[in-house]
Amino acid sequence: MVGATALSLEGLVAVDADVVRLRRGDLNALSELITRYQNRLYRYLLRIVRQPAEAEDLFQQTWLRVVEKIRSFDASRNFDAWLFTLARNLAIDHLRRIRPQSLDEPLANTWHSETVADRIPCKDHTPLDHALAAERRTEISEAMAALPTMYREVLTLRFEEEMKIEEIAQVTAVPVSTVKSRLRRSLEQLRYALEARYPGGTWQ
Amino acid sequence: MSEHDKIRELLALAAADALTSTEEKQVAEHVRSCIACSNELGAWRPIASELRRLPTPQPSSWLVQATLARAEAKLTEQAEHDWNRRVMIVVVAFAWLLTIASWAVFHFVSGRFERLLGPQFSHTWISFAAFTALEWLAGGVAAVMLAIRQRGERRLV
Repeated sequence: MVGATALSLEGLVAVDADVVRLRRGDLNALSELITRYQNRLYRYLLRIVRQPAEAEDLFQQTWLRVVEKIRSFDASRNFDAWLFTLARNLAIDHLRRIRPQSLDEPLANTWHSETVADRIPCKDHTPLDHALAAERRTEISEAMAALPTMYREVLTLRFEEEMKIEEIAQVTAVPVSTVKSRLRRSLEQLRYALEARYPGGTWQ
Repeated sequence: MSEHDKIRELLALAAADALTSTEEKQVAEHVRSCIACSNELGAWRPIASELRRLPTPQPSSWLVQATLARAEAKLTEQAEHDWNRRVMIVVVAFAWLLTIASWAVFHFVSGRFERLLGPQFSHTWISFAAFTALEWLAGGVAAVMLAIRQRGERRLV
């Protein structure tokens, strides 16, 4: 626990140093930041827009926006929250432009993305356990992808980005109480969707 | 709304670790004595747990490289822009200095330097100011026209 906290603090210090260097126009700092945030940012964008091509385009636009706005970034703020706010604004503008209805309504579209690491069987589990776990993840992923954008967003920020409620409120520009109610509703909808697909809790 | 109903609404958030410490205590206390809520919390936990373990889609190395290249180009462009602005400020300051100095030098060479401080002082300076303002106005208009043209060209690129 202490080790994890120390590692996390070390990461924060490194990010701060990279941000300061980027503000001075250091290209290496930019490279470090992109490397550090590439997976998280891409995952977040993909969860929102669901189409890999669109997520890729927004990924590039987000980093260009970072370069453009880094000098106006308040160093006392959390860089993660700032970065995800920029990405969110671009993604929401994009969705408004191409599919105005998609911000609130679910789309019958599914995505499934599996990394190489996910396909490697773990020594502690049997192949059957591994197959069942992969199936459960697919079921959750599909149910989540069918939720409205604002619910997908709050789920990914809380469970995948592991952001605190206050940080989510900062990124989504809504009060903490709204974040909590969105989180509760999104979990309820997800559970109903899973129970509707697999009555009797068989998805577990 | 009864205490039981209030707690029940918090169970999904409890599984998401999104409660305040006070709410957490209330839920823990209630769940110890309420089997229905205990079961309900048990139903939320696997959902929360699976959500935390969803696979992370990764961007292709091509995308990362392309992004880095574009961002670096933008950073370089911004640095050039800043440099140009700084140079422009220095040039403008130098031009002003030169304008003011040349006026005094011209009068000194032509032997009329004392008139600068003489009774004709105000007339001299008014004509100097008008002359300079006209010059700079023309220069400013030219600079704005050039900037508009440059911006248009950049958009085309």
